[in-house]
Amino acid sequence: MMSTLTGFLQKEFKQALRDPKMRILLFISPIIQLTLFGVAISNDVKNVRIWANPASKDTVLQHILTRSLESKWFIPVIANPNANPYDLLRAGTADVALVPPPEGLTRGIGRGPADLQLLINATNVLQAQSIEGYLTSITNQVVQEDLKIESPSLPIQFDVRVLYNPTLETSYFMVPGVMCMLMCIVTIILTSMSITREKELGTFEMLISAPITSSEVIFGKTIPYVVLGMSNVPLILSVAVFAFHVPMRGSVAILTLASFAFVCTSVSIGTLISTFAQTQQQSTLGGFLFLFPAILLSGLMFPLENMPTIMKWVSFLDPLSHYSALLRNIMLKGGEAEFIATRIAILVIMAVISVFFSFKRFRTTLQ
Amino acid sequence: MSFLWSRAGAIAQKEVYHVMRDPFTLALSIGLPMFIVFSFGYAIEFNVKNIHIAVYDADQTQSSRRVKDTFGSSSYFILEPVSSPVEAQRVITGDRDRASLIIPGGFQKDLFSGRSSRAQILLDGSDNSTVGSILSYVQAIQNITSRRLGDFDPPAAVNLKTRFLFNPELNSRWFVIPGLAVVVMAILSILLTALTVAREWENGSMELLLTTPVEPLEIIVGKLAPYAALCILAVIFIYIISRTVFALPFEGSLWVFGFGCILFLITHLAQGLLISVVTRKQQIAMQIGLMSGLLPAQLLSGFIFPIESMPTFFRYFTMILPARWFMTISRQSYLKGSTLGEMGLSFFVLSLLCAIMVRAATSRFKKDLEP
Repeated sequence: MMSTLTGFLQKEFKQALRDPKMRILLFISPIIQLTLFGVAISNDVKNVRIWANPASKDTVLQHILTRSLESKWFIPVIANPNANPYDLLRAGTADVALVPPPEGLTRGIGRGPADLQLLINATNVLQAQSIEGYLTSITNQVVQEDLKIESPSLPIQFDVRVLYNPTLETSYFMVPGVMCMLMCIVTIILTSMSITREKELGTFEMLISAPITSSEVIFGKTIPYVVLGMSNVPLILSVAVFAFHVPMRGSVAILTLASFAFVCTSVSIGTLISTFAQTQQQSTLGGFLFLFPAILLSGLMFPLENMPTIMKWVSFLDPLSHYSALLRNIMLKGGEAEFIATRIAILVIMAVISVFFSFKRFRTTLQ
Repeated sequence: MSFLWSRAGAIAQKEVYHVMRDPFTLALSIGLPMFIVFSFGYAIEFNVKNIHIAVYDADQTQSSRRVKDTFGSSSYFILEPVSSPVEAQRVITGDRDRASLIIPGGFQKDLFSGRSSRAQILLDGSDNSTVGSILSYVQAIQNITSRRLGDFDPPAAVNLKTRFLFNPELNSRWFVIPGLAVVVMAILSILLTALTVAREWENGSMELLLTTPVEPLEIIVGKLAPYAALCILAVIFIYIISRTVFALPFEGSLWVFGFGCILFLITHLAQGLLISVVTRKQQIAMQIGLMSGLLPAQLLSGFIFPIESMPTFFRYFTMILPARWFMTISRQSYLKGSTLGEMGLSFFVLSLLCAIMVRAATSRFKKDLEP
């Protein structure tokens, strides 16, 4: 039995790696993508286009504008001084406009609290909230300095300490997430496509008539993708650590173990999908039907805390949510034994369940 | 020979039969967009709530209780008492809580004696998506408690009156759903075409088609038309759901939006075709489709992560992505009601990209056919 399996494995590896384009895709594309998305994506808000009437002689307003431009967050908008701020925002020339009261901000302050209106383009909700926060603190600083108001310190002070990522580097957060996404796209979709490909080409019937058992077929088809998936781990990890300086505070062995559990789970899910699909097109679409909600509910990009309770339960069934939590816990926090053991156990249970169902479905398709 | 609609029509008919015979694909290509819209619409909320915060109170006085109450009554935080400061940090390491509040002994004494009372807050920096919001909540609570407990109320010199234009309530759905039209079309158009044409190569039936008197252009149009129709159907579904279920506004003109959809669709269909001609294998076509179509549309188009915040190179790089321009068109049409003239640049670049992509795909396709 072992020799049939090894023979089968050899055939599968050859088939998967025969095409030079495929070799490039399997090994180089995850690295390129991780680099690309790791560099490009961030939650920070920068280069916000700010507008305030440049002709205005309002010193406080001008100070707020200068101070904003000195911070790295804002860039100026060159526009007609008489432009209507609302039109500037509508046309997308500016992201935020400062509109002082008619008598001017400086004079307004002299008569008591003055109203400074901020018009913010809120088509991007996250950006809008950050802009408001930035401008509030800039305005407070300017008012204190210009009016020489000594602000007494608050009677209650919170000392806030951000653990594990004190400078709030976005890459610390994004890179483990993207890593997790890339690994599961490769394993789930490629596994299910490789099995349906045999169905499509008609070679699946040949496999059935050959003197090998169905478990040999399943293991023969899946083990290569487990190996390929695992071979991505050191590649992606080294990019994360050396190119993005994401700290690796936990043990590499535990991370490998967690990755192995995850790759087994996702390969077995790919197998399960392939037992439902007849063509490669179907298996790709089926893969996406799984991947989309899985990525969405994994907490990779969107906080899980905000989701409705039912979605939180669904996310508990999502292997990605466990793997991404594991990656972040091991890499950034050094890993807590109890947490890691629980999450790996959950992944293993998921793998066992989906392997069980794949076998069952597989037998029925064979008969 | 010249282009004949009847021959292209015949190919299209064959492709329709193909799709109809395969109800799985049909169901998925209609089901997938609906599924995506509903799950995104219901699951994504950027206003962070229900943050589990571990609380260790060494002071146990009226003041410390009032600080805790302020956190608890804010609806943003769920308090979870812990027994020691060490435990307060352990719950963060073990991913059980996102934050910890540690109130030291002597908190009330300091407050009454006129010194600043200090409490410590630990935040979990491993999740950037929540830290920013928690920081601003903590700031607000610091001000509230100072006012309530310390009678601290300095007059403000400037009141900021913020008006959030185009989405006054900062509704996360208004932000996400117009972008979904782009993401869904990007998946369906590239993947379906790349796979269907690659399949003909893989099965060898493309050679068969070429021996018939059908022109290459007729093959292309015929093969892609049914998938174009599927994608348009998906967009119409998304539009209806967004307007009825999620009650989104649509300020712009449907004609302009539709025109943008078609331009984007043609560009992506051509891209899918180009991929399938170059790769000729479904597994590879799928991966390249994913890399060049889906991931950029999701991550680099400004869907969630603003383009302005990207490094300079990427701000220019995103200009070659059709998804970036269509994202602008979709958001502006839904929320701002911009006219065709106001979105002139987006439309111009999108048409340019469309022309380039169609030209590249057809010329590559023709060249491949010649012996």
